[in-house]
Amino acid sequence: MDKMILKNGIKVDIKTNKNTPRTAIVMHIRYNKNNTGKKSIYSLLSSLLFQGTKSRSAEQLAQELDENAIDIYYDLKADYMRFKILCLNEDVNLALNIFQDMFENSTLDNYEKEIQKIKGDLISELDSAKAQAKDEYLKTVYKNHQYAFSRKDAIEELETVTKEDLFEVFEQLKYIMAKNIFVVSDKTKEEILPLIEKHFEKLGVKETEYDTNLIEEIKENRVSTIIKDDANQAQIYMGWAIPIISFEEWPIINLVNTILGSAGLSSRLFLELREKKGLAYTVRSSYAINKLGSDFYVYIATEPKNIKTSIEGFQVEINKIMTEPMSSEELENAKNNAIGKRQFLFETNMSEAIIRGLYKYWGVDYDYEQKFIESVKEITKEDIMNFSKKYFSAPTALCVLAPEKYLKEAGLI
Amino acid sequence: MENIKKSLVRYPFLERPVEIYERECGHKIIWAYKEGSLLNISSWVKTGSINENDENNGISHFLEHLMFKGTSKHKAGYFDRTLEAKGAIVNAATWKDYTFYYVTVPKGNDDKNLQETIELHADMMLNPVIPPEEIGEPFDLNQPVTTKRERHVVIEEIRMRKDQPWTKVYNSVNANLYSNHPYKRDVIGNEQIISTIKRETILDYYEKFYTPDNITTIIAGDINPDYVIAKIAKEFDFKGRKNHPKQEYKIDLQPTGGKYTEEYSKINTGFVMFGYLGAKANDIRTSLVLEMICSVLGDGLSSRLQQELIEKASEQIFNGVGAYYYPFRDGGNIFVQANFKPEAKNTVLEKLKQQIEILYTNGISEQELKKAKKKIKAGFASNSESVTDIADTIGYYITVPGGLNYVEEYADTIDKITAEEIKETAAEYMDINNVVISVLMPEEYKNEG
Repeated sequence: MDKMILKNGIKVDIKTNKNTPRTAIVMHIRYNKNNTGKKSIYSLLSSLLFQGTKSRSAEQLAQELDENAIDIYYDLKADYMRFKILCLNEDVNLALNIFQDMFENSTLDNYEKEIQKIKGDLISELDSAKAQAKDEYLKTVYKNHQYAFSRKDAIEELETVTKEDLFEVFEQLKYIMAKNIFVVSDKTKEEILPLIEKHFEKLGVKETEYDTNLIEEIKENRVSTIIKDDANQAQIYMGWAIPIISFEEWPIINLVNTILGSAGLSSRLFLELREKKGLAYTVRSSYAINKLGSDFYVYIATEPKNIKTSIEGFQVEINKIMTEPMSSEELENAKNNAIGKRQFLFETNMSEAIIRGLYKYWGVDYDYEQKFIESVKEITKEDIMNFSKKYFSAPTALCVLAPEKYLKEAGLI
Repeated sequence: MENIKKSLVRYPFLERPVEIYERECGHKIIWAYKEGSLLNISSWVKTGSINENDENNGISHFLEHLMFKGTSKHKAGYFDRTLEAKGAIVNAATWKDYTFYYVTVPKGNDDKNLQETIELHADMMLNPVIPPEEIGEPFDLNQPVTTKRERHVVIEEIRMRKDQPWTKVYNSVNANLYSNHPYKRDVIGNEQIISTIKRETILDYYEKFYTPDNITTIIAGDINPDYVIAKIAKEFDFKGRKNHPKQEYKIDLQPTGGKYTEEYSKINTGFVMFGYLGAKANDIRTSLVLEMICSVLGDGLSSRLQQELIEKASEQIFNGVGAYYYPFRDGGNIFVQANFKPEAKNTVLEKLKQQIEILYTNGISEQELKKAKKKIKAGFASNSESVTDIADTIGYYITVPGGLNYVEEYADTIDKITAEEIKETAAEYMDINNVVISVLMPEEYKNEG
């Protein structure tokens, strides 16, 4: 691993993985304070970056990317946007050249049209029952906070975006972009660094302020429902808000998730609700750690008449993990499972760039991965129970999508 | 000593040739070297909905679920628990031509997980017991059931798919593309069959199709090939299990005159899929050409559909567009699809038809040809980055087209493809008069016809 700082202060980490065909480059950009409540601007802006620069029309840009099999894409997360570049090793210089041009010279033309395109995409995504339910769950668990931003909010907000808003955010973005660049490639530092310098060293970098408004605690159970009379399955999300989670608790929440229901065939939810009760094909748990607050949830998609049984099944498993010490064997298996799975995060250049870039974003050291693994090894049964009691004894956010008849039967409406 | 025939194949972007071992019983073992700490062992079985009928539709997929329910050596759950406790991902998938099972696992220090992983995987493949209590009693869908088991899990999976608009549209196109071939059925089957199918029927199916010559076991990773080949051969002891004659099916032709179906659902946007029958998977050249046609039409921002129907459109009636080629043993499928504003349905259909017609009337440019070739090359690069993707690609080529030599020759084959060939192939396979179309519309449009 080579760590460098460019003249303008941008930090660059380069990891060389020999004999790999594609180079991955990842950058995280945290939303700044003034725009945390306007996430759709970031979505619009990211999309507009592909709509042409001063020297390349939108069509030329698309053509050049596709002709060279260069993928430049973005994710919009709760706190940040992430740009990812993936290309064959032979095309790194070209990929960076295009990316730089998009950031420095985008015209942001046709933004009204782009708004219509994004709205169309969002409306289409809402034809998925699962997406609707997940949106509603996030609104419920993160009520009154920017993290509650849903597709429906984005559709409304896009109508109010002006060109001035857009240029303001674009200018900010240009200065705060790429404070950290993470590269994983077959190429060496000697080959990559000059390319990074060439394309990034002239960029201005400014500090910016970030939102500090934490999510609120849930004081009493929140229930939200969506009536969908033609649904073949009920979509059920039950979750807990976690206003502050310490670094020390990261390995524990990871292990609790492994035990309860992260993807796998031996988790408790999978065994109890799917294998023993036949309630579902998909049942799982998951969590998100954000700067201003996190959440942990359990999810099931099940025949609508099973709503009550499923929620009770969740409660049984949550009570069990809070109150019953697990066996040493189950704890060891879960630890080995969680530790072993870490290796998948480093298998491809892109997956490694994403995880290491994320560590960089969080400001943890390069050796954090090893520390994380060591911490998992140290976790005790009591740690699992204490963590679970601390967070899962709080009121819940429950969201259920189902036909009206079954929501009534379950006493939810 | 068993006589095993060895051959080598160059695989794009892998450092070393892939080693293929053919055993006398017909079972194939393949090793691909990939540097790193993970290994993948997969077994691909040449069966899927292609070998099903109206009475047992869904049996291949149901059996895939039941293969995880214990063996003569280990009870249900042991396999998952033991391997996941090493950090493994274990799973399986069923499709028209194949069913495959895989374990991707950290090798561990001194490859300590290797031996047990091979043993457990082989045990699962060869000695499933499919216990009645794990399948669950056959039941009447209209009656309440107290004890739910794997039948119900699969029925939940069927329900899940019924809530997915694209799956609905796909199933409709698929059913209308075929008249007789077993591909016409949905791989997952239906609730009626899954709720009542008998254990004996499932065991008979297993005996018939999980035969040595129908199974290929692939291992990918940085491991000692001499040891793993010998170990896999030892653990995959078929104990004289017989191979059976393979069934051939009459290939359907694209319906003349085309077909159009329209369904309705509680949705906000419209979904449309155009479908055509493609070439047999072992006609690699035509399959590559059809893949390139789909790439030019609908893969990426610069594709024709994206540019003409979205980027350059004066009015936004399309939300998303795409074109895909699915290769199958007895003939692939070409799909052109779009999500759209429902009030513009007629214009949408017209514009999609126009784009297809323009493609086979005017052909493609050299620039588009070059782009499609590069995309296929990048696809191979992508498929060489993880042990799971490597094993999947090898499994597919061995099981569906029938050989890895196709992978070795792909670069030469692609180089020879011309723009003229693309045009001719599009004209041959994508006659707009014969297209099968399925549309899913919001319910409020039901009375508009």
